Amino acid sequence: MKIIFDSSTLILLAKVNLLREASEEVEIIVPEEVKREVLVKKTEDAELISILIQERKIGVQKVDEAKAVRKLQADFRLAKGEAEALWLSRKYGCPVAIDDGPGIRAGKVLGLRFLTAMHFLLHMASRNKLAPALAREKLTKLVQYGRYNKRIIEDAISRLKEGRT
Amino acid sequence: MGVISLRLENLELRRIDDLSVQEHKGRSTVARELIQQGWQFRMLKQYRDGKLSLEGLAKTLELSVGESIDLLAELGIESPVEYEDYLKGFDVFADK
Repeated sequence: MKIIFDSSTLILLAKVNLLREASEEVEIIVPEEVKREVLVKKTEDAELISILIQERKIGVQKVDEAKAVRKLQADFRLAKGEAEALWLSRKYGCPVAIDDGPGIRAGKVLGLRFLTAMHFLLHMASRNKLAPALAREKLTKLVQYGRYNKRIIEDAISRLKEGRT
Repeated sequence: MGVISLRLENLELRRIDDLSVQEHKGRSTVARELIQQGWQFRMLKQYRDGKLSLEGLAKTLELSVGESIDLLAELGIESPVEYEDYLKGFDVFADK
């Protein structure tokens, strides 16, 4: 399955060291602008993403429709990378991975399917791609960086315990 | 560096002087720091209220998206992802 990634989910998965595993589960595509944003500073997350792009585990897609992207930016108060990710998701009819409020709101209006970094963690745990103890450790880290609300965290903990998604 | 003159309330001046003494900094430095921190606070509030995207926040604070995530985590600012959106997200892998 092909999934378009916004920088938010891409970086969250990199921070909890799940991005490589995610790239083995799904085909990750990022728009040019998202690539530019995430590599703008030399950080550990950026280094991992850069390596995965070099290894072609993350595909980079150019977005030519500048006018349509600008319209999305103006209509939903988005920055360029977020708008490009939503545009590609709409164009190819594939889901978008996004951990950003305005981006998710726009995705809902556009009728896009979306998911967050938390869904990748729970999906991989339910398919035994992560040992239970490791999955719990990753969840703790993801809660820290992802700052999900209490209901989401409680639900995720319960799903992890029960091995379901 | 530009120069502006502005009228401040006595209370505001007193606060600048207090900080200047406490932190052994000049009044101008303290005032600039307060403006910078006030700007950051406003942008973080806009993000929290869903009026600014993560990438937008990063741009206005002149940080990378990763550094912005670190800052939000440090300050404990909750993600704007809603529970209903989270539940909907499970459809993606269910449809796979």
